[in-house]
Amino acid sequence: MSVKYIPVQWNPNKWVYDAIMVVAVALFLWIFIFIAPDVLNHNRAINPQIRNARAFGACAFFMLTIILMIGPLARLDTRFLPLLYNRRHFGVMAFFIALTHAFFVLDWYFSFTPINTYEALLSSNTSVTRLRGFPFEWLGLFALLVMGVMALTSHDFWLKFLTPRVWKALHFLVYPAYAALVGHVALGVLQDAQSPVMIASFGAAAGVVVLLHVAVALKERGGGGDAAAEAGEPGWEQVCQADDVREGFGHIGILASGERVAVFRQDGKLSAISNACAHQNGPLGEGRIIDCLVTCPWHGFQYDVTTGRSPAPFTEKVPTYDLKLVDGAVFVRSEANPPGTYVEPVPA
Amino acid sequence: MTLAALLVQLAGIWVWIGVAVAVVFLTIGVGRIDEDARGAYVFRPLVAPGVILIWPIVLWRWWLLETGRDAWPLRHRPQRRFHGRAWMVMAVAVPLIFIAAMLARQSQSDLTAPVLLSPPQEVSE
Repeated sequence: MSVKYIPVQWNPNKWVYDAIMVVAVALFLWIFIFIAPDVLNHNRAINPQIRNARAFGACAFFMLTIILMIGPLARLDTRFLPLLYNRRHFGVMAFFIALTHAFFVLDWYFSFTPINTYEALLSSNTSVTRLRGFPFEWLGLFALLVMGVMALTSHDFWLKFLTPRVWKALHFLVYPAYAALVGHVALGVLQDAQSPVMIASFGAAAGVVVLLHVAVALKERGGGGDAAAEAGEPGWEQVCQADDVREGFGHIGILASGERVAVFRQDGKLSAISNACAHQNGPLGEGRIIDCLVTCPWHGFQYDVTTGRSPAPFTEKVPTYDLKLVDGAVFVRSEANPPGTYVEPVPA
Repeated sequence: MTLAALLVQLAGIWVWIGVAVAVVFLTIGVGRIDEDARGAYVFRPLVAPGVILIWPIVLWRWWLLETGRDAWPLRHRPQRRFHGRAWMVMAVAVPLIFIAAMLARQSQSDLTAPVLLSPPQEVSE
């Protein structure tokens, strides 16, 4: 948040989150390498170097799969929100697991080449016109590069510097990267694997990710809030009824411009702020008021509902909206106030 | 020079320019455009690899912030429609890739059975 940057902001919850993650990764690798080689058997016998490479590769694939499942799960059921809280550490660890996989591969398959190792990686297979024998290494390289960009730009500095909009646009690359990763696995190791367990688990994992995201897209097609109606007076739009807003909670309204407004009731008075958290554009209207502050459900960033400002020493700000009541209907001005502008709450 | 060699060389150039940008940005620039970075030095090596990787975007954002051209309202307007559209494409692309790859698999039974070659017979003089 907006205090002096430090390398990593730890707290007890993050320690627990990371500890569980490290144990799960270690367990996965241990099972893959030592316990289940017969279950994950390959048509031709593989040596320990290849098994290590495949173990780390499979681990990275399933980690990225889980990372991509967390977002839609949290949208579908708020009980999954704690998983979202520290997802960036998950992503960073997935990158390093994938990087380890890449080094195992380079160190075995391209170790004895007379030309540069990376040159050999790019030039050893160029059969791009064929599906069978397609250079799946390129797909893996692309996915690794994207995972690297995501992991190395995960510090809070990047969010503030790039703005959530640019940062998220950059991180949307994870979608083509995941498609490439599915291709990397399916055109690579699964071409050789005879074990139905491996094929089914990779296929099912990718299928679940797709289904969850499509379910959320269909659910939110309606907008996830109430569409605003034009008021008689120009420049104002009705977003909801005053009775729709419970004490200590928010209600999301969608303006004609597509902007979302979060209307909150605190001490019997209504205030309206932008629905997009200044941190990662989390849905503030789905949060609630804790200690007199609107609290983002994603990462706990907090704002004074009358000013849109985070409490000192933090300096995050979100835009506020002028608000008025007409016969029990809540109207907000279409144009937002600059972030941090005080607006007098309206008794309702 | 092969295309692969050229790509590797270009990657090397990209990294060296990135290192130069990272050195200048993280010693001079970052404190000028971000008050939270003033007096904070330990985090800078941590973000340096990111600068090296995406240095053109870093230069662009640095220029926007230095010249006051950054549009604050955009910061609060997430691209909310992109997710849905992207996953509609992914819903087709991911199964297609997977199924196509599975159909491309060779059946081991279709392959010619291996033949154990016998060593050449010695020729007696």
